[in-house]
Amino acid sequence: MATFGTAALFVTFVLAVYATGAAVLAARRRDRRLMQSASNALTAAFGTTLAATFALLIALARHDFSIRTVADTTSLQLPWQYTLSAFWASQEGSLLLWLTVLTGASALVMFQNRRRNRELLPWVAAVLGGITVFFSGMLSFVSQPFQQVSGPPPANGAGLDPALQNPYMVAHPPMLYLGYVTVAVPFAFAMAALISGRVDSRWLVAVRRWTLFSWMCLGVGMLLGAHWAYVEIGWGGYWAWDPVENAALMPWLAATAFLHSVMVQEKKGMLKVWNVVLVTATFSLALFGTFLTRSGVVGSIHAFVQSSVGPALLGFIAVVLAFAVTLIVWRLPILRSEHRLESVVSREATFLFNNLLLLAFAFAILWGVVFPILSEAVRGVQSTVSTPYYNFFLVAFGLPLLLLTGIGPLVAWRKASVNSLARTFRWPALSALAAGALLALLGLGSSTAGLTAFSLCVFVTITIGLEFARGMSARRAIAGTSWPRSLVDLIGRNRRRYGGYVVHLAVVLLVVGITASSAYSTASEATLGPGQSMRVAGYTLTYAGLTRSSDTNSTTTSAVLDVSRNGNRLGSLSPGQRIYPVEGRSTNEVDIQRSMLTGTDLYTILQGISKDGRSVTVKALVNPAVSLIWVAGAVFLLGALITIWPDPREARQLARRYAAALAREA
Amino acid sequence: MSDAAIAGGVAVLVTVAVIAIAWPFVAPQRGQRDAVLSREDRRRIDLLERRDAAYAGLRELEQDHRTGKLSNDDYEAERRRLRAEAAEVLRELDALDSKPGERADAPREV
Repeated sequence: MATFGTAALFVTFVLAVYATGAAVLAARRRDRRLMQSASNALTAAFGTTLAATFALLIALARHDFSIRTVADTTSLQLPWQYTLSAFWASQEGSLLLWLTVLTGASALVMFQNRRRNRELLPWVAAVLGGITVFFSGMLSFVSQPFQQVSGPPPANGAGLDPALQNPYMVAHPPMLYLGYVTVAVPFAFAMAALISGRVDSRWLVAVRRWTLFSWMCLGVGMLLGAHWAYVEIGWGGYWAWDPVENAALMPWLAATAFLHSVMVQEKKGMLKVWNVVLVTATFSLALFGTFLTRSGVVGSIHAFVQSSVGPALLGFIAVVLAFAVTLIVWRLPILRSEHRLESVVSREATFLFNNLLLLAFAFAILWGVVFPILSEAVRGVQSTVSTPYYNFFLVAFGLPLLLLTGIGPLVAWRKASVNSLARTFRWPALSALAAGALLALLGLGSSTAGLTAFSLCVFVTITIGLEFARGMSARRAIAGTSWPRSLVDLIGRNRRRYGGYVVHLAVVLLVVGITASSAYSTASEATLGPGQSMRVAGYTLTYAGLTRSSDTNSTTTSAVLDVSRNGNRLGSLSPGQRIYPVEGRSTNEVDIQRSMLTGTDLYTILQGISKDGRSVTVKALVNPAVSLIWVAGAVFLLGALITIWPDPREARQLARRYAAALAREA
Repeated sequence: MSDAAIAGGVAVLVTVAVIAIAWPFVAPQRGQRDAVLSREDRRRIDLLERRDAAYAGLRELEQDHRTGKLSNDDYEAERRRLRAEAAEVLRELDALDSKPGERADAPREV
C-alpha cells in the first residue's frame, strides 16, 4: 500500500509538471489540442491523488503501523471514525488533503470551463498546475505520507491527540481546507486575466461562486473550530486568538473585502488593481495559514512539530507574491479605473471604507502572529502577543465595520444627498439610540464597547428589516402578490443582495453572542465536598459525588453536580476528567446546560479531584447568549447558500454579453 | 498487498495518465488553434459590460427610489446620467459594428 501511494503521488507530480508546461505552450501557440491535453493531465492528477488518498485511508483502516503516519497518529483502541480522521491529524496527511482538494478543484475548473473562457483557461491551468507541482513535489520528496517506520512495525500505534478525538475534528479541518485551498481558483483566474491582458469583468464572473464557496467554507470551518474549542478544550471560551485560528481568519477577512469590492468593479469599473491585490492577499494569507500550521514555527494547540516543510512553504509564498506583484505592475496601464469616486457618501465609498477596515484588521492580526517570530529571529527571545492586543483591534475596527454594515445598504450608488440620508437613517438611528439607553438603564453600561456593539446591532437589524420590508412592499406594488410570495420573489430576483443581507444578520447574531458572552460572562470556582454547594449568577451547584465510566480507549471520572435556580431543580451536570492510557494524556470533559429560551450556557469544568477523592474543584461559568454564535453559523450558511445559488437570468445575460466573443472563440 | 498487485495498480495509473494526455492528439477533433480576441473584440466586451452596468444601475436606481433611498431630484439626475451613459455606449457599439469589414457576422444585440 505504501509503495502504491508513493508511486501515485509521484505520478501526480509528473502530471502536474506536464500540465503546467503544456498549458503555457498551449497559451502561447493557441493550440487547442495541447490545452486539452494539459486539462486532461490536471484531471488525471486528481485521479492519481485520489488513489494516494484511498491508499492512506486503507492503511489507516487496516492499522498498518509499518507506515509512520499511521503509527504516529492511531492505535488499535482508537474508535474507527477518529482512525479515519487521523488522516489530517498528521502533517503529511493534511498536506495530502490539501493536494486532494486542490487537484479536485482544478479538475472541476477544467470541466466547468471546457467551452468558455478559452483565452483565460490555459493560464488558469498553468497557475493551478504550478501550485500542484509545489504541493505534489513536497509530498513526493519532502514530507512523504507513506514513509516507513525504521525497524519492525510497532505492535500498537502512539494514538491520536485526545483533543482531536471529537466529532468536530472530523468536520472542521476538511471544511477549513476546502476554504483555504479553493482560494487558489480565484487567484489562478486573476493571474490568468493579468497574463492574457483580459482584465474585463469576465474573470470576476468566473470566480465569484468559487470565492463565495471558499469564504463560506472558511467561515463555517472557523465556527466549527470555535465550537470544538468550546466543548473540548475546556477553558470556557471559543476563540483564543491562537495563531492557527488567526490563520483562517486572515484570508476570510481578505475574501470578505474582495466580495464587497468586486461589486464596485462590476457596477462602476473601479478598483481593478485593488481587486487583484485582494485576491493575491487572500491566497497568500491562505498559504501563510498553511505555513503556520505545518511549519511549527509558532506555538499553538494545532501546530505540528518543527518540520522541513516550513522553509519550502515560506519560499513558495515569496514566489507567489513576487509573481503576482510583477504581473500587477506590468498590467497597471490597462487596470485603470473607468470612473472615479464621486462622493464619500455613496455605496462605493462605504465599500471602500469597509475594505480598508477589513484589511487593516487582517494586517493587525498578521502583525500579532508574526511579531513573536520576528522577535525571536532578531532578539533571540520569543515574545507573545496576547488577547488584549487582538481585542483592542477587534473593537477599533469591528465597531466601525458593524456601523458600515448598517450604512452600506441604505446609501445609494454614486452619491447620496443629506436629505435622503436623514430620511433613510432616521428610524434605524433613533432605534439604536433608544436601545442603547434602555440597555444602559438595565445595567449593561459596565462595558462601553459592549453597549455600543448592542446599539449598532439594533441599527443594522432595523436597516436590514427596512430593506426587506420596503423591497417586499415595492414587489407587491408591482406584481400584486402576497407578502410571502413577494419575499420569495424579492430574494429570487436579487440573490446576491438579499443573501448578503442574511449574512449581515448572521454578523449581528455573532456580535451579540460574542459581546454578551465575553463582556457579561460570570465565573466562579470552588472546592466542594459531598453535599456542598456553590453559586454562580443565580445558579446553585451542589456536589453529589463521583462517577466512573470507560470505553475502548479512555476512562472518565465525573463529578455529578445538581443544578437549581431559585429553588427549582434544573437537572444535573457531570464535568469530568478523561484519561487516555495509550496516548498517556488526560483531558477536561466539560458539561454544559443550555437555556433554549435565552441562549445562555451554564458551563462547568472539573478542575481537580483531591488525592483522597473526597472533594472536587469545580469552575462554573455563565455565558449569556453564547448560543447565538452557533445560530449565527446556521444563518451565515443560509445567507451564503442564497448568494451562491445559480441565477439563470444572470447566466443568460452573461451568455448574451459574451456571445460575440464566444462566437469568435468557438 | 502483493508486489504484483502493487505493480499492476501503478501500471494502471500510469496507463490512464498517458492515455489522458495523449488522447487529444490522437482523437479526431475540429480545429486545432484557438482564435485570439482582436482589439475590437476586447473593445466590444468593454462596451457591453458598460452597457449592462448602466442597465443594472438603472434597475438598481429604480429600486432605490421605490424604497425611499433617493429623493425625486437625486433620482431624476442620476437617471438622466445613466440613460445618457447607456445611449453613449450604444452609439459606440453601433459605430464599432458598422466599421467596414468588422464583425459583419456578429449579432447586433448580444
